[in-house]
Amino acid sequence: MLIFGGLYWLTVQKHAERDQLRLAAVDLTPSCKEKLQGYSLAAAEHYRSPYVRKMNGAWSTVRGYSEEDVRAIQRGCNIVDDLQGHLAKSGSRERWHGDRFVRGGQTTCVHCHQGVGDKQDAAGNRLVGSNNLGASWVMADMYDRFTGMLLPHEWRQMQCYINSSNGFKPNAADDLLRDVTAYSRFLAAALDLKIGNRYPEQGMDEITAAATLRRGDDYVRGAYVYRQKCATCHGPQGFGKVVQGQVLYPALAGPESFSFDSRMNFAKIDTVTPGFICRNMPLGAEGSLENQECRDIAYYLSTLPRPAGDRQGPLVAVWEQLMMIVMPPLMRYAESIGSNGTPQEASH
Amino acid sequence: MLSRGNRIIPAVAIAGFVLWAHLGSGLPVFRPHVSLEPDWEQFRAAYHVNDFGEDGHFVRAAQNGYNVFFFTNKYASRFTRKTSTDRTNACASCHSPEDMAYGFVNSDRFDAKLGRRVSFEERIMRCFAGPMDGFVPTLYDPTVRDLRIFARAVAHHLQLGEGASKGETRPSLRHR
Repeated sequence: MLIFGGLYWLTVQKHAERDQLRLAAVDLTPSCKEKLQGYSLAAAEHYRSPYVRKMNGAWSTVRGYSEEDVRAIQRGCNIVDDLQGHLAKSGSRERWHGDRFVRGGQTTCVHCHQGVGDKQDAAGNRLVGSNNLGASWVMADMYDRFTGMLLPHEWRQMQCYINSSNGFKPNAADDLLRDVTAYSRFLAAALDLKIGNRYPEQGMDEITAAATLRRGDDYVRGAYVYRQKCATCHGPQGFGKVVQGQVLYPALAGPESFSFDSRMNFAKIDTVTPGFICRNMPLGAEGSLENQECRDIAYYLSTLPRPAGDRQGPLVAVWEQLMMIVMPPLMRYAESIGSNGTPQEASH
Repeated sequence: MLSRGNRIIPAVAIAGFVLWAHLGSGLPVFRPHVSLEPDWEQFRAAYHVNDFGEDGHFVRAAQNGYNVFFFTNKYASRFTRKTSTDRTNACASCHSPEDMAYGFVNSDRFDAKLGRRVSFEERIMRCFAGPMDGFVPTLYDPTVRDLRIFARAVAHHLQLGEGASKGETRPSLRHR
């Protein structure tokens, strides 16, 4: 009785803590502050998006948001921008302890959903294949050919946690997912997106082999282009760059990276990552890579050691863990060897 | 070791069961297609359901949502005590398809009566528990999912955006 009573008391305390968090004012990250101020998010009876006014020349009036709705949207934006609470005063508590659902300390949504899920150019044009969250929301519940099911927005988020974050699945009704959904829905309102319409900024704008000169994908060529274009930010072995606890550039390989089950794994789906690279990389020079280069880079990345997913089984998981331990020093040594075969100081 | 005759009997029984299940049972669980109810084809054409989703999966879900919406006591009998003899025995007894669409784009908002944000799925659950005098389906139940997809299809037809209000905006119908 004491044990059950203790568990009941603990549950009541946790619920009370959640209620307090829902009522607490939200401390926005700098990116979210800029994004949500730009869209004039505030509690009011009606909502009118300045973005729609700017782009269409006319106001669009829709139902406004209550203070509770505004806080949910703000929290959702924070989760997208800073899932693990690196920028929060009380850490992951302000993100519903989102770090419970990911392995490693780097992952956050904004790595793939750039511009806090709403990437635009200087003129405010939404960019093709930029993984816009609002555009994803209006196309949710559609048939997903990778999973073979009608995929709700919340379930798609679960897949992100399991595969892209190499982690675990939150409950569909968890505040963590609901707040991100609230933010996605707000973006759809701010951008005046209509339910069920396919917008170019939704998804990755995949690049098939047919979109190249059909020389064939080559990971050796990919390794060369990676060193030229990507290694400066993501590191020579793709481990990302973290400075003073802040993830400047995410890991593309190794234990902090996405798993083999992720759609970003070229060996699983060979069109998604090339699309992402070509449309979103390198930062500041997006669109500068050829389609074949993007496919080659993606192919190369898929050959690097990374966590196994649920579908690979324990042997592959053990092998990959071994490779993630053995390969980095070997690679560093290989990189340190100059053309004359004598070791030089490694740049890593 | 089974004799040849004894080996054939189970195989014939299994084959017979499969044929009966798919062709003769009439049970929805054994059929890949959705039962055709009256006026579905007219609804499908009028609301351009085919425009939303380039495959059969979505249309099948929308059709099942249509069946649940208009014939709730038949297709969601697990979740309601209402029968065909009741005056209000379906979602359509109280709501129009347009109501569902507007409800969908205005869901996930704070409800002052309940003191919290309420999702579209929870609204459906509360309808089953309250006006439908029944039981609460889970969040993952196809009944809930297909009603949501039905609402999405209508919202797409009306070209509604988030927060669209029935009384204030007059969305133009989408024609192709």
